[in-house]
Amino acid sequence: MADQNKSEGIKKVCVIGAGVMGAGIAAQVANGGTPVLLLDIVKVGEADRDAVAKGAVAKLLKTDPAAFMSKAAAKLVETGNIEDHLERIAECDWVVEAIIERLDLKQSLYKRIDAERKPGTAISSNTSTIPLGQLVEGLPDSFQRDFLITHFFNPPRYMRLLEIVTGPKTDAALAAKVGSFCDLTLGKTVVRAKDTPGFIANRIGTYWMQQAVNQAMDLGLTVEEADAVLGKPLGFPKTGVFGLLDLVGLDLMPHINASMKATLPPGDAFHATNRDVPLIAKMITDGYTGRKGKGGFYRLNKAAGKVKESIGLTTGEYAPSKPVTLPSALAKDARALLASDDKLGQFAWKTMAPTLAYAASLVPEISDDIVGADTAMKLGFNWKFGPFELLDKLGPKAVAERLEKDGAAVPDLLRKLGEGTFYKIEAGKRLFFGTDGQYHEVKVPEGVLKLEDVKRVSQPLLKSGSAAAWDIGDGVVCFEFTGKMNALDEGVIGLLGKTLSLVKAKHKALVVYTDADNFSVGANLGLALFAANIAAWGEIERSISGGQQAYKALKYAPFPVVAAPAGMALGGGCEICLHSDAIQAHAETYMGLVECGVGVIPGWGGCGEMIDRWKSAPGMPKGPMPAVTKVFETISTATVSKSAAEAKELMFLRPTDGITMNRDRLLADAKAKALALVENYAPPPKPEFRLPSAGGKTAMDMAVDGFHKQGKATDHDVTVADALATVLSGGDYDLVDVVTEQQVLDLERAAFLRLLKTPQTLARVEHMLETGKPLRN
Amino acid sequence: MQTYNAPLRDMRFVLHELHGLEKLNAFPKYADFTPDVVDSVLEEAAKIASEVLLPLNATGDQEGCVLENGVVRTPKGFKEAYNVFREGGWASLASDPEWGGQGLPESVNKLVEEMISATNCAFGLYPGLTHGATRALEGHGSEELKQTYLPKMIEGTWSGSMCLTEAHCGTDLGLLRTRATPNEDGSYRIDGSKIFISAGEHDLTENIVHLVLAKIPGGPSGVKGISLFLVPKFLPNADGTVGPRNGVVCTGIEHKMGLKGSATCQLTFEDAQGWLIGQPHKGMQAMFTMMNVERLSVGVQGLGIGEAAYQAGVAYAKDRLQGRSLSGAKRPDLAADPIIVHPDVRRMLMTMRVYAEGSRAVGGWVAHAMDVSEATDDPALKEEMEDFIALMTPVVKALFTDLGFEASNLAVQVYGGHGYIREHGVEQYVRDCRISQLYEGTNGIQALDLVGRKLPAHMGRYLRRFFHPVSEFIEANRDDAAVGKLVEQLERAFGALQLSTGQIAQASLKDPEEAGAAATDYLRLIGLVAMGYMFVKSAKIAAEKAPTANGDAGFYADKITSARFFVDRILPQATALFLAIKSGKASMMALEEAAF
Repeated sequence: MADQNKSEGIKKVCVIGAGVMGAGIAAQVANGGTPVLLLDIVKVGEADRDAVAKGAVAKLLKTDPAAFMSKAAAKLVETGNIEDHLERIAECDWVVEAIIERLDLKQSLYKRIDAERKPGTAISSNTSTIPLGQLVEGLPDSFQRDFLITHFFNPPRYMRLLEIVTGPKTDAALAAKVGSFCDLTLGKTVVRAKDTPGFIANRIGTYWMQQAVNQAMDLGLTVEEADAVLGKPLGFPKTGVFGLLDLVGLDLMPHINASMKATLPPGDAFHATNRDVPLIAKMITDGYTGRKGKGGFYRLNKAAGKVKESIGLTTGEYAPSKPVTLPSALAKDARALLASDDKLGQFAWKTMAPTLAYAASLVPEISDDIVGADTAMKLGFNWKFGPFELLDKLGPKAVAERLEKDGAAVPDLLRKLGEGTFYKIEAGKRLFFGTDGQYHEVKVPEGVLKLEDVKRVSQPLLKSGSAAAWDIGDGVVCFEFTGKMNALDEGVIGLLGKTLSLVKAKHKALVVYTDADNFSVGANLGLALFAANIAAWGEIERSISGGQQAYKALKYAPFPVVAAPAGMALGGGCEICLHSDAIQAHAETYMGLVECGVGVIPGWGGCGEMIDRWKSAPGMPKGPMPAVTKVFETISTATVSKSAAEAKELMFLRPTDGITMNRDRLLADAKAKALALVENYAPPPKPEFRLPSAGGKTAMDMAVDGFHKQGKATDHDVTVADALATVLSGGDYDLVDVVTEQQVLDLERAAFLRLLKTPQTLARVEHMLETGKPLRN
Repeated sequence: MQTYNAPLRDMRFVLHELHGLEKLNAFPKYADFTPDVVDSVLEEAAKIASEVLLPLNATGDQEGCVLENGVVRTPKGFKEAYNVFREGGWASLASDPEWGGQGLPESVNKLVEEMISATNCAFGLYPGLTHGATRALEGHGSEELKQTYLPKMIEGTWSGSMCLTEAHCGTDLGLLRTRATPNEDGSYRIDGSKIFISAGEHDLTENIVHLVLAKIPGGPSGVKGISLFLVPKFLPNADGTVGPRNGVVCTGIEHKMGLKGSATCQLTFEDAQGWLIGQPHKGMQAMFTMMNVERLSVGVQGLGIGEAAYQAGVAYAKDRLQGRSLSGAKRPDLAADPIIVHPDVRRMLMTMRVYAEGSRAVGGWVAHAMDVSEATDDPALKEEMEDFIALMTPVVKALFTDLGFEASNLAVQVYGGHGYIREHGVEQYVRDCRISQLYEGTNGIQALDLVGRKLPAHMGRYLRRFFHPVSEFIEANRDDAAVGKLVEQLERAFGALQLSTGQIAQASLKDPEEAGAAATDYLRLIGLVAMGYMFVKSAKIAAEKAPTANGDAGFYADKITSARFFVDRILPQATALFLAIKSGKASMMALEEAAF
């Protein structure tokens, strides 16, 4: 599994409390390859004393998006109960408490834990509301030394933020050990927070949401309007605020607000913003708790034929949603949006100005520096910019002046900043404004390398409209895609060829990587469709063959190539990985050859590479058919892995390929892997295939016919699968022929073109481009 | 001299041999229109055109229309001709049988329209506009409106007009000022002024049904707030007779360059009663149904006038004796050779000839698609046909009218100074044809429609309906013994078209002005390739049929010659157009405005 991610010292973990958070944390520990013991109470009247924990795991297996990255990971979770199995925490190096938010219950549990644990075992709470000081009150110093708060965000697999809070007595080395485990093995970005209510993200985020709800109501906005403003223009997720409340659950808000109200000091700005919202109270009573309930601010009215509806903030009645499009000048420019004096602009200002001022007033109270606050908001609320980065975009001085004009308090930090900005670049280094009034370097943890940092200090070695090559040091070049959705086109293929020559002449190794959320969604379908529509077949054939040649050149280059995918690596994006010497994948890698979904087959060498992979898979039976059958199943169904671990099961990744849990560490890991291959590097030998010929093709066709008869495959699925079967079975080559890699490429290319000339394939491509969904024709 | 012999043999070729009328006969809707029936329709139409309409062409031009006391008088003989036309059933030829029409395929109707345009384009506007108005009413009007108006309009006793333009807005209809205020009975009160209304007022019919674009107060601004109304000149009585005069008057007629037999009116609506057609604020949609039909008809006007100009040119070139052939006297018996012996005169005549033949073939292709799309139950086929029509509508409109105008001008050139004087009637073709490049959306607007809307639609799906058949034809016939050479030349032009298309698609993603700069050249390019494809396909058919054609052998041999001339002498323009398009907008947009 993720061996290079293991930090020293934590070999087994116990999670107590199998609710949504506890179970999710346990799953992520297992995803990182570490055995985990998940305990909960014994439910009265239940025959199976482990029923609660077992039920939680069963639920995890059904969660969508999935909590586990693989079946193997699920097997690493052992369930039990705190009556019979608590003594087994002696086997564990870290115990995470994730039970109900009640101090008395937590404290009594801690006492029992303390009695059973081996000395030095770290204990942490996943509390989101109870201060650490209260949690450890009355517990021995030896416990307090090993105790900290590890605050995960829901869902723990997908949310990258982890807030760690330590107390005055917490052992720094122990906190560092837990932090490093969470970083390397669980893939979290650790932000150190102070022991204050709501820590960082929830403190700012709760205020922001409440302020937005208040302002939307006061200014008479619709929920669609509010979400259009507090969405893309400001770098917030498209759910906006009301969509976000629907997502997290409306019933959570009163709870968090009550807890904040009880614990925040009387002078805190939160109290002025906090108010009871009768509409929300009524919605909760009526079961409109959001997506988990009957709907929330938005709902899908199935009775009316799946109409998306939204609630009127003043009427409380649902009506069909009216999408709101902001004028493009405002949609692109946050500064113009906040300056606009219509009600949308007023809403933006009246929500964001107090929120940003609040955030500025809370440093250093909740975080030592602004970097922690920004990171927490970016990773905990998926903001594209943290509050201080947003202030920089808006002009801190201008915001301060307008706050002053509004008669609002200007936070000290903002006042102290004066004419400057919170961040600046100096000599290629990114500096932040400290509470001491000085600029300090934004520290990058060891083993973290991002292309954006490389870009700040250098120019690309090579560049085209859709790709670039960067020197990332130690003789390694990084090739990145830069087009829309990182789609692949001639600009990518052309530059790849040039990059290979450059690396051969002047460097040691190549890494294919991008900072983007998605590695690549594959070839630019829009261009392909347009070319097909104007019957530019020669052009299309040239571009397929150009891609084939470029990928083979990459494969047989006289230096090591490591692909480092993260997010989606589809079609041609998957194929470039398949041609690399090794893959270092982020754990969240969704890989697949999805061409059949749009009515074609992999055309850039994917078919041959996959046969070669399966042929040499451990435990594969002899003969040409078994490997080909596996490849046929994977490609004809356009299977996409739901994680890097699953990509290994599907053989997109070889057993020797690596998985990096922490996204920020992917490039550095890939670079290290590439450098490790440099010494005595020899390109791989060219594979030779023996393919199952006509008999094998018949078997594959029959399988598809079966699906067709059951209604599981459409008419065109049959045509596409037949073209794929032709390639995989070796076309007209005989069972005894040795088929070369080039011959498989020729078969691929011919089949691709044949399919692209069918109206059904063109309809599939068009439908995918226009709706984002596959057409089942 | 204005002369006209309907090119019936070529029309039959386009209809039957090139596009296959029998394929339409397979649809129940068109089962009755067998080749025999259709051919006799064409022959009858040819007679009406030559015998009734042609004699009124020059006189109508000279006399023009007159406005007296709010009433427009059409030129002498128009009313009698209209009655003959209407009684012969020519007004209802392509209309829906449900409302009294004869339901002829557009493939045939467009050929009849060509004959009318060739012999008296000004006259043709009156029934033409009526036909367009019935289409919009059929498509969008309420059952009651249809019952009241369609039968009368289709039989031709009432006529139609379309009222879009106002003094301050033509292309940009969002600026309209005519108002429609709801009345209590569900009708509307229409107030405003319209200009450039063809057939807006005349003495040919007992009533005129105006389709008027107006704004309902309180509706959305711009084109999204425009609604379409039916406003009759006389309010109909319950028994179908005409009743009291409605509040619409003709306040003036335009003094024009040409097309003088057609009354171009200024209309004032004052407290006029009108009825909504379709949904409120969806008027543009309803109007475009009419516009698209009209645009194709306007293209056919260009074709018809071009054909007439060609025939006039041929007649003169054979008759006029001047000088001797460069290779020695051809008619030593005469004082001089007829000018048709000269290569440069041949150049002009052949050019005019292939413009007409090529346009007729392309027009037939589009009309055939219209007929299939109307008749088919297969949604995929219908989509395919509609895509193709959408793509080709601006091409037919702009290309045919540009070529018709060029042909008219060439006819004047063949005549020399005699073309410039009224007596021979060829300068009338230049003047009459000129408007076809302007109305129903100027040809510049057509080109923008092509590159801005049609080209990028669905990632080029409309283009597929044209490019794939051409590509497949080239693939299949590259080695054809008879036409392989022509295919090779077509392929070169097609390649230029493909490259240009890709170039425009890419450049205009970054800069929409690039599409605007390429538009007119691109329209010509795709038009030339379409004609080239039609010619090579025609030549292939001709080559196949010639050996057994007996009496028709000459026709087929001439068809092959036309194809060769087009491919040799006209189609190479594709390369030049590609180079022009490729250069982009830079030099076109560089000059400072003040330097103009």
